[in-house]
Amino acid sequence: MAEGALNAAELENKQEWWWLAEKKRSNRLDYLRKSVWKKGALGGNYAPGIKLDLEIPTLFTDMWNFWKFDPVMMRRAKALAHVLDNITIFITDHSQIMGYLGSAPHTIGWRVDGASIVNEELYNEPGIIPEPEDESLKKIADLNAYWGGQTAVDKLARILDPEDAVKFLSGAIGWGAPTSAYGYSGKNYEYFMTGERAFEDIIAEIDRNIEKAEDKTIGTPGPDILPLYDRMQNWEAMKVILKAAIRYAGRYARLARIIAENYETDPKRREDLLKVADTCGHVPAHPPRNLHESLQYDHFIQILARFEAHEGAWPARPDYYHGPYYDKDVNREKNITKEEALDLIGEFLIRAYEVGGFGPRWAREGLQGITGTWVWTLGGVNKDGSDACNDMTRALLQAARLVRVANPTFAFRWHPGVREDVMREVFECIRQGLGYPSIRNDPVLVENAMYWHGHPLEEARTWVHQACMSPCPTTKHGFQPMRMASATANCAKIIEYALHNGYDHVVNMQMGPKTGDARKFTDFEQLFAAWARQMEWIFNTLVRTVNLGRYKDSEFYGRPFLSAISERSIETGIDAVSPIGERGNAWITAFTWVENADSLAAIKKLVFDEKKYTMDSLVTALEANWEGYEEMRLDFVRGAPKWGNDDDYVDSVMIRCLEECARHSHEIKCPCGNNWPILPENVSGNIHYANIVGALPNGRRLGDALYDGGISPGPGLDKKGPTAVLKSCGKIDHVHHGRAFLLNQRLSPTQLSGEKGYQLWMSYLKTWADLGLDHVQFNMVSDATLRSAQRDPEKYPELIVRVAGYSAHFVDISRKTQDNIIQRTVQGLG
Amino acid sequence: MPVCQECRKFYPLENNRKQGDCVQRVVDPRQAYYKAKPVSAEKDASACGEFEKRQSVLK
Repeated sequence: MAEGALNAAELENKQEWWWLAEKKRSNRLDYLRKSVWKKGALGGNYAPGIKLDLEIPTLFTDMWNFWKFDPVMMRRAKALAHVLDNITIFITDHSQIMGYLGSAPHTIGWRVDGASIVNEELYNEPGIIPEPEDESLKKIADLNAYWGGQTAVDKLARILDPEDAVKFLSGAIGWGAPTSAYGYSGKNYEYFMTGERAFEDIIAEIDRNIEKAEDKTIGTPGPDILPLYDRMQNWEAMKVILKAAIRYAGRYARLARIIAENYETDPKRREDLLKVADTCGHVPAHPPRNLHESLQYDHFIQILARFEAHEGAWPARPDYYHGPYYDKDVNREKNITKEEALDLIGEFLIRAYEVGGFGPRWAREGLQGITGTWVWTLGGVNKDGSDACNDMTRALLQAARLVRVANPTFAFRWHPGVREDVMREVFECIRQGLGYPSIRNDPVLVENAMYWHGHPLEEARTWVHQACMSPCPTTKHGFQPMRMASATANCAKIIEYALHNGYDHVVNMQMGPKTGDARKFTDFEQLFAAWARQMEWIFNTLVRTVNLGRYKDSEFYGRPFLSAISERSIETGIDAVSPIGERGNAWITAFTWVENADSLAAIKKLVFDEKKYTMDSLVTALEANWEGYEEMRLDFVRGAPKWGNDDDYVDSVMIRCLEECARHSHEIKCPCGNNWPILPENVSGNIHYANIVGALPNGRRLGDALYDGGISPGPGLDKKGPTAVLKSCGKIDHVHHGRAFLLNQRLSPTQLSGEKGYQLWMSYLKTWADLGLDHVQFNMVSDATLRSAQRDPEKYPELIVRVAGYSAHFVDISRKTQDNIIQRTVQGLG
Repeated sequence: MPVCQECRKFYPLENNRKQGDCVQRVVDPRQAYYKAKPVSAEKDASACGEFEKRQSVLK
């Protein structure tokens, strides 16, 4: 390591951020960061050494089978309690924060009761089967045989409309599973994370509710009594899992004490371990008393939720909820130093980074390099509208630069009242190549939450990122317990189906409605009408399926732990995933969106306005995947206007498409009765769908990567500079056209160095805010560095890039995704 | 037949000495850690490769 000889200033000048971080962080953080077993798939494959955890599914299934006559929520609670009481736990050297989803650091979890189709894929996944392999395969086969037909998705598939089921699960139009077994859940932080209560308090609250219900059930008979019998069972199930969670923490307390008293010879580490024992003895049973306990409490809850379901996102607002403890410990009482706080916060990030569960290949390809979108929300405003940034905000941003993990990432709720010192910390993370935080326009998004879902102002202001992008409150009626965005639409199929009469030439199946032979369309309005019908059909099919999954989830799956930390469930005894009690916060994630505007505009101009080509010749060329029509294809690439150049011709097509979607968004309703706005973004879906989306009139061929972002221009197609991109995007009404809109931008690290760079970036952000955009995120790594990393990946193991709504290590994503990032235009500012 | 409570890695629960934890040190290619797995004090340890006879009697 030649860089080792350089001092910090020299490393900074050379932009050797990983080596700089190594030099600046403590020995403890250095050990913990390097000790992580990376769980994100490389391209689509797990890294060598990563193995499936078989303890959890085995323990879970044993007890699930034993309690076969219990109601589903109680059955799950008892099975999970058995896991928590018996799984192997471990304490890594130097660590201070406990809890992991697995029996060893190199293992990944397996949601055995989620979907048979995933279980079968897992059986055939090379490399992850633990030794001895024959024995493990036998165990997996036995588990699969037991769960076949009775997983959450299996049960749902039996009642879905068969045609909907086939089309939803075809992989052509959607990306997700309509069950809370997979996906993610928002958390009711305002209930359990404010310091007012913890698990013992919730148990006492449940006891009081059970007592009241029991009084009623032995009183005057009437229909109002009847639901109470089920609810009392649910409350009991919540108590079972809360008590098990306290015991689980107690096991860590005990192990820490055993190590301290019997093995550890270093007095400082012994002291650490006794502190860990004290911490885990206190939380989650009781509210935290200090920063360490607050972080540990939060982490236990996140891990416990993942024992219950495969959670692929991590909605959180750590500065807001841990900030008061940071202030108490570091600023007011000076119980710990800033450096000690950074150690804790850095480890808090690392503990999240190491979590992973087995995902099917389509999920791994769509989320290359990570195991889920852990996008943590920072900044924003308090419920009264005042600035919510605090010293914990800054500490989290500093810790991120020390540990440089690709997951979790941050998204920053910008508003006009953010202090400059905080903005400089935000900028420093971006400048140092992390690709995060992404920047969110808080006033716009608060208004948006009120417009689309009717969240009251104070509740809207509590919002966190539900996954990559979509805001969701953390309140009793506002938080969302299931991934409604399993209605994720592969939107490029809308224009594809409009041009092929609903037929999908890639999967060879009539998918959408027959909207007419496009060869015979004589004007743009006919084409647009077909486009609108195909859009409605795709959205309807996905939403119908997810709505049914949500409606039946309490019966088919059941979430005792999530319910136990949700105020509305504690109050009513109803499963948190039930639509009862939620206001509704659904959105359709619109993957591969911008191709629609570019394709429609190209046809409008070249076929209907200029009459350079006929619809017949276009459809023929598309069916041939443009083969034999290269000159024509290039005309559709270069001779037609493209989104992102402040060109009203194509921008007006984009706005019309969004208005059409917004109209339909008010017609389709979630099970809570609320709207389904769209949210254009991609994760790595633009790469995953490359071989699924056929040739398009923007000049794209089957197999070519799709555009990378929700409203990002096509890579290299934005020719007029960064302001033109912002102006195009500013024509979108970011409140009324959809729920949020993802914009990727690449900036030059050289141009943005030093004070001048910060001022340039702030000017850019001012324009962005003035135009009312709701999101922007940056890659600030040079082409030269990225190309070097492609040539010599072993020299760049820690190079991080922003892929879409998440960041990843550059070497962990596929060559195609790497190329796609390099192709994005580097915008010069100023 | 050796049983778990005769092993130096066995730590009985204070409130139920028939149950306890098997605590082991592990060094894997990336990190070192201690792990604990619940076991019964009377569990047959004759096939356990980690068994180490305790020198003193367990109190």
